[in-house]
Amino acid sequence: MRDHAYTCKFVLFILLFMGCCNFMNARSQTGTWLVSYAQVTTPPADPDQARAISSILTEARKTFDVDFIYESKILPDVKLVMDVDRFKHVEDFLTELLRPYNLKYKKVLTRAYVIYANSTELRRLMAIVGHGESIPDEILHVRGTKEAPPIVITGRIMDEKAMPLEGVSIIIKGTGRGTTTDKTGSFRLEVPDARSVLLISLVGYQPREVAVGSQTSFQLALVSQSQSLNDVVVVGYGTQKKSVVTGAISSVKSSDLENMPVYRLEQSLQGRTSGLTIAASSGQPGSSSTVRIRGTTSINNSDPLYVVDGVPIDVGGIDYLNQSDIESIEVLKDAASAAIYGARAASGVILVTTKKGKAGVMRLSYNGYYGTQAPARKLHLLNATQYATLRNESSIAGGGGILFSNPASFGKGTDWQDAIFNNDARMQDHELSLNGGGEKSTYYASFGYFDQTGIVASPISYYKRLTARFNTTHKMKSWLTFGENIGYSHIKAQGLGNTNGEYGGPLSSAINLDPLTPLVITDPAILNDTTNIYHTKPVIKDALGRPYAISNYVGQEETNPLAYIQTQQGYGWSDNIVGDAYFEIEPIKGLKLRSDIGTKLAFYGSEGFTPIYYLNGSSSNPTTSFYRENDKGFIYNWENTASYTHNIGQHNITVLVGASAFKQTSSGVSGTYKNMPVTNLNDASLSYSMANTDKIAGGFDNPDHTVSSVFARLTYNFSEKYLFTGVMRRDGSSRFGSDNKYGYFPSASVGWVASHENFWPVNNAVTFLKIRGSYGVTGNDNIGDFKYLSTVSGGRNYTFGNNSYTIGNSPDAPANPALKWEQTWQANAGFDAVLFNDLTVGFDVYEKKTTGMLLAIQLPGYVGATGQPIGNVADMSNKGVELELGYGRKFGEVHVSVRGNVSYLQNRVTSLGQTKYLTGATLASSALELSRTTPGYAIGSFYGFKTLGIFQTQDEISKYLNKNGQMIQPNAKPGDFKWADITGDGQITNDDRTFIGDPTPNWAFGFTASASWRRFDILVFGQGAAGNQIYQGLRRLDIQMANYTTAALSRWTGPGTSNDFPHLVDGDPNGNFSRPSPFYLSNGSYMRIKTLQIGYSLPQFLTDKAGLQKLRLYVSANNLVTFTKYTGFDPEIGGSSYGIDRGIYPQARSFTVGLNVGL
Amino acid sequence: MTATAVLLLNTACKKSFLDVQPKGTTLEGNYYQNPDEAYAGLTAAYNPLGWTVVGTYCPKMVVMNLASDDCYAGGGSASDVQGFQDWNDYKLSSATPNLPGDLWSRNFTGIYRSNVMLEKVAGVPGLSDADKARYIAEMKFLRAYYYFDLVRLFGNVPLILKSLSAGEIYTQVQAKPADVYVQIEKDLKEAIPDLPGTVPSTENGRVTKGAGQALMGKVILFQNNTSRMQEAAGYFEQVNSNPNYHLLQNFPDIFRPDNKFNAESIFEIYHTSAAGKGWGNWPNFDGNVGVQMVGPRGYKGPLYESNASGYGFNPITPQLATVLKGDPRWAYTVADIDSMRKAGAATYDTTGYQNTGYFIQKFAPLAQFEGKVGDIPLNWPNDEIEIRLADTYLMESEALVRGGGDAAKAQYYLDQVRQRVGLTSVPATLDNIYKERRLELATEGHRWFDLVRTGQAATVLAFKGFTANKNELLPIPLSELNNTKLVQNPGYN
Repeated sequence: MRDHAYTCKFVLFILLFMGCCNFMNARSQTGTWLVSYAQVTTPPADPDQARAISSILTEARKTFDVDFIYESKILPDVKLVMDVDRFKHVEDFLTELLRPYNLKYKKVLTRAYVIYANSTELRRLMAIVGHGESIPDEILHVRGTKEAPPIVITGRIMDEKAMPLEGVSIIIKGTGRGTTTDKTGSFRLEVPDARSVLLISLVGYQPREVAVGSQTSFQLALVSQSQSLNDVVVVGYGTQKKSVVTGAISSVKSSDLENMPVYRLEQSLQGRTSGLTIAASSGQPGSSSTVRIRGTTSINNSDPLYVVDGVPIDVGGIDYLNQSDIESIEVLKDAASAAIYGARAASGVILVTTKKGKAGVMRLSYNGYYGTQAPARKLHLLNATQYATLRNESSIAGGGGILFSNPASFGKGTDWQDAIFNNDARMQDHELSLNGGGEKSTYYASFGYFDQTGIVASPISYYKRLTARFNTTHKMKSWLTFGENIGYSHIKAQGLGNTNGEYGGPLSSAINLDPLTPLVITDPAILNDTTNIYHTKPVIKDALGRPYAISNYVGQEETNPLAYIQTQQGYGWSDNIVGDAYFEIEPIKGLKLRSDIGTKLAFYGSEGFTPIYYLNGSSSNPTTSFYRENDKGFIYNWENTASYTHNIGQHNITVLVGASAFKQTSSGVSGTYKNMPVTNLNDASLSYSMANTDKIAGGFDNPDHTVSSVFARLTYNFSEKYLFTGVMRRDGSSRFGSDNKYGYFPSASVGWVASHENFWPVNNAVTFLKIRGSYGVTGNDNIGDFKYLSTVSGGRNYTFGNNSYTIGNSPDAPANPALKWEQTWQANAGFDAVLFNDLTVGFDVYEKKTTGMLLAIQLPGYVGATGQPIGNVADMSNKGVELELGYGRKFGEVHVSVRGNVSYLQNRVTSLGQTKYLTGATLASSALELSRTTPGYAIGSFYGFKTLGIFQTQDEISKYLNKNGQMIQPNAKPGDFKWADITGDGQITNDDRTFIGDPTPNWAFGFTASASWRRFDILVFGQGAAGNQIYQGLRRLDIQMANYTTAALSRWTGPGTSNDFPHLVDGDPNGNFSRPSPFYLSNGSYMRIKTLQIGYSLPQFLTDKAGLQKLRLYVSANNLVTFTKYTGFDPEIGGSSYGIDRGIYPQARSFTVGLNVGL
Repeated sequence: MTATAVLLLNTACKKSFLDVQPKGTTLEGNYYQNPDEAYAGLTAAYNPLGWTVVGTYCPKMVVMNLASDDCYAGGGSASDVQGFQDWNDYKLSSATPNLPGDLWSRNFTGIYRSNVMLEKVAGVPGLSDADKARYIAEMKFLRAYYYFDLVRLFGNVPLILKSLSAGEIYTQVQAKPADVYVQIEKDLKEAIPDLPGTVPSTENGRVTKGAGQALMGKVILFQNNTSRMQEAAGYFEQVNSNPNYHLLQNFPDIFRPDNKFNAESIFEIYHTSAAGKGWGNWPNFDGNVGVQMVGPRGYKGPLYESNASGYGFNPITPQLATVLKGDPRWAYTVADIDSMRKAGAATYDTTGYQNTGYFIQKFAPLAQFEGKVGDIPLNWPNDEIEIRLADTYLMESEALVRGGGDAAKAQYYLDQVRQRVGLTSVPATLDNIYKERRLELATEGHRWFDLVRTGQAATVLAFKGFTANKNELLPIPLSELNNTKLVQNPGYN
């Protein structure tokens, strides 16, 4: 029984050193009753038997097999001789021993006695023992009788990537004794015996227990615990432990983003959390993405609210953020979580927290990469011979003549895509950060530089960003904290202008230009002919003075892209300063008062020079003009909160109340100087003295947007088992009508941690299970300014007397003082679980209904209004299911971690008031819209004709009859589409259109798998979407001579040749191509390996020599492979042309090498 | 800290924080603050008078002509402006696109803008009392004018005398036609004293006392109450005896765009070519698009505009041609383009829908008057004369006959109209007066109203498909029935 060796003879609670507060801290950090112990010195083995009281107690502990609990300071500093063995009962022994010193004892557990001097002390000790069930039993019991010599062990603790971890706590289980690792991750510790168990922990990592056994040297890796339930989650105006969160919140931690080639927030989120559908607007460097949290919330604006360190970011966007500075991103998905942001939260809230300094040694780290990018895929377009052949065929079929007598003579012709794509576009990112601090102050500072060149028309497609950040926290007094976070960025970027549009630009031109036209004119016959356009017009020439060729066949906006590039001189820029400063006081324990002022100051603008040029007959510019625009936006957000946390027994209550005021303003001026005597941007300047007629000024003043709010949140849990959160927010917004100036946004959520129940069987299958449910209301105040007021407009003129034309003004429409926010109701149910200790599961099912979406009210004519007032008219619903999984385990020396998520959602517009439908996107080629928003269907569903295959013979046309026996398509020819007569009226009209597809994916998913082995690590990150269609509108149908993709090679050329690609006919009399139909739709599902990264960390003996903490090298491939059936450049099509491919700027495939250095 | 929190709570609760100023937008609440803004508001109330395009083409005269036996719909095909064709064929339904709705919204827009001004005028700083009184009188006249059209065309319309607030929009119900007439008379009665007897030429187009009196007489006449015919005659007499008005010697001079606001014009709707509108301004044209519409299609020849030749609407019916041929007014009323073609003087597209070869001459697109700026079809300067002296002469004649009044005076006014064009006297019977109205006022948009008010419509318009007890009124447009308390007119459900 008493065969354990031990060094610590008594358990001593060094309470005085710790203090209650520290106890609290320890608890809140780890969630369990973790007690610190001081190392107790071994009592002297005194041969003459006079021993310190502590020593006597140590012996008694073994003798009676009990524990004693006391504060060491109460024991008098005396030496006694006492034979413990002579007592039969422990209480007799204690009475004898303690009485002389006026000390008392009390039995507290079956085998423990508290020794105390006064009742205050007893209460304090009892309070601790009251939670005794959490105190590991072994520390209260005597284990052994014999002392064995301690064993010295050494070791090194690293992270998953074999980087040394500093400050890791290593405690001998049951003793409280321990040490921490140094900056090389090394430690040295004496343990009592081989049975000792080491508790290894570091904030942010999953704690581990390791038995010492016969080992004396340890190499251990800690796994970051971003998916762990002990994580702290930012919930808006505070944080919560993940295990007690009742809302649906997804998190992305800095560790998920490290070394990822992401430079915008949307990219950081894409594929990393469930419930988000994110699609890049284009592959243009710097371009934004369409972000939808749980589907499209509104027909008007469904962009989530971004809050960075408490500052709502609106004007100027969020691209100022350096992703390396991000500590965590939280996505508040359900109404219960988001309701604390009230009227701005309907489309979800994205909370970004930037990195703060950590007390301890100063750390300098450098992370950077350098790489090259190339297009992953090009379109297959017809070469010159194929083009000429098909154009001939089409012309003849349309009643025209042969256009090209000898197609084969053209050979392959010009590959316009080759002319604009760059197969070696460079990108680089450098980031240097410094962080550290002491007891009172901590700091984090970083500097970043990012530079990316685009893969299309590189000279006019680039993005450069310079960032700096300074975050500090100062604990001036134990009750007063002051801190600030400041980020600055400078961005300079140029874009193609047309990254997904059919009206010109390099991409659209490369797709549509004929392959017959050469890049440059080299034919002397043309060059020497002084009557042609190359002499008579200001054409653009290359560096060798050769004019860029102008197509004789394809005109309008489609121009020689190399010439076009030279005409695009200009760039956009922005300077953003975003910061907040706060102070927080804690006048009494548990009560925190905080005041935080955040601002965003955004300067942004652009300048550009348009030279004199002639690109083709419809794209020319006769005069130079220089344009400059300077805009400014300012946001301030002042919020004051008071929170009070109180625990009574197992009741844990936190109350938060707060108020905030938000104001946003923006304005700008612009000016154009025409006819400036310069030829390029570099020489242009507003300092030129120009005639007033050559100066054009412009600008804008946006109305201010103000929001004033009060809010409260009650968080309650009983023993972390039964959880409740209630939120109420009241928002007033300058955008609401006078009848509804204030909106109330309540929410409530409950949770039950079933696995904490006593009846929960001890098992390894389900170690944690929390069931959640929530319901709440949020609003969308992104409804424009002054929509509720009646405006007066002109144009209501009349003529009085002598032909004098008189200006008339009148109100447009009645005011709608009832105008208010769009309201979104959302119910959510879900659970979080940990299975088999290694697998975390998060599951949510939700339904959200948006009501009162803004739409013009169809007024009865008798109102007499000229315009239509905006009203809260339309409704929409989204339903969905989300699953997040995380798994991490070590197999021998291989550590494996896999995380994945998948979301399903269904969107339906349920009402548009009296409006039957809203027309969606159009394409140059068709007068009919491609999509409609209609009740009963998903927003922006594709709308068009249904095809029933292709008429193979005239006989089939003759037999396609209506009820009356008349031909439905009397004018069709074999090779034409057979259109479905949806209305059944016996003819094909525009009424025969129906819904043919949906551009929004039903499924979104992502996964990250990583593994490390010794100093090697590998990571795969993939992401994708499914269940959507893409409308491939690449070809300009209004330009008859536009080139085709090679799909046209499989056109119908005779019976049986094709049933899905009709014959080519100039004029397209059957509307085969001009009518929107499933012909243009493709399955838009894709799965993309976004990142594949392999890293190697240098061994310690090398880094030590260099004086470095860590040095890791890696190679990374991004967008390495995309699995999709889609045949266009890129299946990921966000932005304003969502799901419609007009020749989208594809995302690059890149290869980078990177370096992480820690000092 | 707590203090700042309290402070912020105060700030946050202050409503002024949420009341931000608009920039670059004029709010109704900030407008009508000076005489210029009031004048612009007044102008806006006149503006619908000049609409010849509303949702689609809808010149009032053209539309009223095609409804009557003066003209067919015409145009390019049987579906050219569906509403025109449907009315021509008496197949109008609630769902007929544009036409009933266009007439409805033209007048209700005018009423709304008049109502707004009636609410605003009193509070306009700097506007003289005299101007205020005149503005109010003009607005009441216009409101009466617009309602007179509505009650005659639709019968059962909501009577709205103020700008509706959001809460009142969907609660409106139709008033009895009699009540609408009561309101029209009330407005006119109140307006007449404050309307100017004459206006300087710079104010031509603004309402005069004579217009008020003439409209008042007409409004009473249209109510077909024999006991009030003397009252109506009294109003007409005030106009007809007014020395400012006299019949022009030369009949065609009445309609010349270079002879606007002549002595015969009592209420005239101004159209100008000065605005130089283009198609991009649709539908806000200030010229008279109706002129373009009634021109012969594909015309090449003298006199008439050839470049943007007409649309071929309102071809003259054989019915009108038959009764008008031989009348001195024939050549000034009807453009016999087909005869010109046959004579080799001109060519035109004879395949126009319902082409008869006869086109409207009074408002024909004469090349000499075509607009010099903007698109020609949109900038014809021909005014629409809503009320002219020959009309009030004949209406007084009629009122006197129907009310048993001064027969000599009735005879006198009828004779005056005939005498001007060189015709001899005929007895002043109702029949003769009606016949004279038809010939004198042909294609000026009065015929259909006359047929309906005199109960002749069912017979005379039978050839077009007119159904008695139904087609006297237009259907209430479908869009007006959705979500409202309005009910459809009889026969249209």
